[in-house]
Amino acid sequence: GLLVTKCGLLRHRPAGGGAFWVDSQQKRYVPVKGDHVIGIVTAKAGDVFRLDVGGSEPASLSYLAFEGATKRNRPNVQVGDLIYGQFLVANKDMEPEMVCIDGSGRSNGMGIIGQDGFLFKVSLGLIRKLLAPKCEIIQELSQLYPFELVLGMNGRIWVKAKTVQQTLIIVNILEACEYMTAEQRKQALAKLSGT
Amino acid sequence: RQPLSLCVAGERLCSTEEATAGSGTYTRHGFIFSSLAGCLKRRNEDSELPVVSVVRDSESQLLPNVGAVVTCKVCSINSRFAKVHILYVGSTPLKSTFRGTIRREDIRATEKDKVEVYKSFRPSDIILAKVISLGDAQSNYLLSTAENELGVVVARSEAGVQMVPISWCEMQCPRTHTKEFRKVARVQPQFLQT
Repeated sequence: GLLVTKCGLLRHRPAGGGAFWVDSQQKRYVPVKGDHVIGIVTAKAGDVFRLDVGGSEPASLSYLAFEGATKRNRPNVQVGDLIYGQFLVANKDMEPEMVCIDGSGRSNGMGIIGQDGFLFKVSLGLIRKLLAPKCEIIQELSQLYPFELVLGMNGRIWVKAKTVQQTLIIVNILEACEYMTAEQRKQALAKLSGT
Repeated sequence: RQPLSLCVAGERLCSTEEATAGSGTYTRHGFIFSSLAGCLKRRNEDSELPVVSVVRDSESQLLPNVGAVVTCKVCSINSRFAKVHILYVGSTPLKSTFRGTIRREDIRATEKDKVEVYKSFRPSDIILAKVISLGDAQSNYLLSTAENELGVVVARSEAGVQMVPISWCEMQCPRTHTKEFRKVARVQPQFLQT
């Protein structure tokens, strides 16, 4: 039979043979194959970059795993850069490997995240809530100011708006969304757009 | 009864005209030197010169030679190779384990490019391998499992139960019935104990 190994809300999907899963709250990220995450470049070792993804081991990223990268045409990655990519290999026995291209060789939005902006960390449950289709939080925020947003499944969010003040306001709202109800959020946004 | 005589590594024992070099010694510049620290043994042959050898313990350490089949335990895996501890040489256990490496291209004989180390071995698997080289400066023996009789013999599933082989590339857990990929060895029936 099936045994539960984590505490949380038990969910069930009857479609396609039925699936059970547990919605739990966690801050520590464990790399999973196929997850899109934001990594910070910590070192360049030969042909491979070492990225910190918030897991137990640093992930490796080959310089050829970018769109249009060849041995002559290397991507311009420096230590301290932010990379948005997905895990090619992630299991408990080996070091995780990341790539910035999908199966067909296209970047699909992955790659080096540009200059400026603000990176901060939230819990994994909030990321899953924000990534749900038709997320109200993002729709309401986008009516406030225009901004760029990158969500990593490892709990990292990168935001960039037109001015530093707008960026910080969005960061504070996203961090507070963890514990605010929908009503409190709507009140806070109404106050901000009013002033 | 010969008196017990001890020697250290590098000690000059005698010249090559008086005796022939045996195990645990080497010859340089016409003299025989000891390469181990241990007991000096002199064996008298009838017609030829006596053989001089140095023995460390009463039983001589069995070293894996090139071509020997060894039993190893996988300690870590990588996308390029697997690191193992060599436990047995043939059927004799080793007092101290040696370290070995199995490169990705030496795991299988066919389709070497499509081999994934994660689908062939996992840490804590027991495998049969053959020594192909005595190794480099890091004293890592280079091993290969590129034969039908070599590969994983004993493996535990993710549930912790010993798995049963069902083909040359899959093993099944008897409790959860999940299949896992391994490069399974086809052990000859006379070695199986039921």
